[in-house]
Amino acid sequence: MTAQDAIRQRAKELLESGEVATFIGWEAGRFHNQTTPLVITDAADADKLVFNEYCVNTLAKYARDVVARGKVGLVVRGCDSRAIVRMIIDQVIKREDVYLIGVACPGMKDRKTDELLKKCAECRHGNPVECDELIGEAGEWPIPEGRFAEVAEIEAMAQPERSRYFESVYAKCIRCYACRDVCPCCTCRECFVDQRRENWVGKQNNVAENRFYGLTRVMHIGDRCIECGECERVCPMDLPLMKLNRKVIQDLNNLFGEFESSLSIDDSVEPLIAYDLNDREEFM
Amino acid sequence: MSVVENTQAAQIPENWEPKIIAFCCHWCTYTGADLAGLNRMNYPANVRVLRIPCSGRMNPQYVIEALNKGCDGVLVCGCHPGDCHYVTGNYYARRRMMIFKRLLEYEGLEPDRFQVRWISGAEAGKFRDTVMSVVEQVRALGPLNLTREIPQFELPPVPDDDGAFDAVPEEVTA
Repeated sequence: MTAQDAIRQRAKELLESGEVATFIGWEAGRFHNQTTPLVITDAADADKLVFNEYCVNTLAKYARDVVARGKVGLVVRGCDSRAIVRMIIDQVIKREDVYLIGVACPGMKDRKTDELLKKCAECRHGNPVECDELIGEAGEWPIPEGRFAEVAEIEAMAQPERSRYFESVYAKCIRCYACRDVCPCCTCRECFVDQRRENWVGKQNNVAENRFYGLTRVMHIGDRCIECGECERVCPMDLPLMKLNRKVIQDLNNLFGEFESSLSIDDSVEPLIAYDLNDREEFM
Repeated sequence: MSVVENTQAAQIPENWEPKIIAFCCHWCTYTGADLAGLNRMNYPANVRVLRIPCSGRMNPQYVIEALNKGCDGVLVCGCHPGDCHYVTGNYYARRRMMIFKRLLEYEGLEPDRFQVRWISGAEAGKFRDTVMSVVEQVRALGPLNLTREIPQFELPPVPDDDGAFDAVPEEVTA
């Protein structure tokens, strides 16, 4: 039985028994190499679910939107499960609100190039870190090298070039907030960019406001980023957002010890919500 | 942060004065600045002191906004670690500012334009010296010519669309 058949069968059983109210998976898109996320509430729809190597979307954030209807079942790979763990630590959802069907990730392909997605090539955890049941067996997932290779590339540039590089990034940004909407860490009920009365960030689309948004986004996610790479994947302007996220993660690793966020639900102390009396002193 | 080459002194306009904003913790640095005034100490008028309740209140967004809105440098001051009025505020600030300073430098801001210092309520002299050194460092760097509008250079082409949503597919998959 393929993973897809097992997912359909389990989804049907869970929905029929009433154990979950909704089930989140992927359905076939218009093309054979395209899928879209699917939320079902009826067991009869379970046959629409698919699982293939084009399931590029990370599903976890949909759980937040449908959790009000009752317990949510969803298919989780490495990135989905870490996103769910992130949301549980952030108290967006509760562990008992979700039923996680783990599946080993085969590595997803880019629809346009048919090559491994960038986010999957960089992924460090293909197997779910948290699930209620695992379909099939956990696969081999070697940890790729060069986690901070992109960051080192930018750091090697001289200061004026770095300025110009990021200026061109912010000049391209259209502030569609897709990176925020897809991010499992960005779960504030009201984001600072939507607080129009406070006017944190203006309405104009210019470099200054884009920079304000971009830098604030990185600082807000900072120590919680699960490196799923969804922000970069969904960016319609192809901005290198992980270069910013990974810069912060690299510094946190160098300054406050090795860490990776959201690997288990107990692992809830991120470096920026803690302190150490013996931290490095640079500001004397 | 984007800066047109302004590290050469030749490009600094005449009669230009740096504008620096100092975020000072109410319990230590602000009191220290007050003491500097009481002692009739002279320090440059380029610095505008803003009071915050604690260095832990320092929001990185304030720094970006200050630089975006025309400041040439930002100084953040708080109590020495261990002396925080709220016990732990500056320990959190220390971590946050270490990360944020590196992020700004990564984006191309000169390190001297964003500085953090611990200055206690008794260190009026240190406050004066810090302000003087920051003003001199920023003066040497020249004005911060941040790009604020979308520049007139040629934008790279919009990412190629394979036309999937325009074309009517020959065969719709089930």
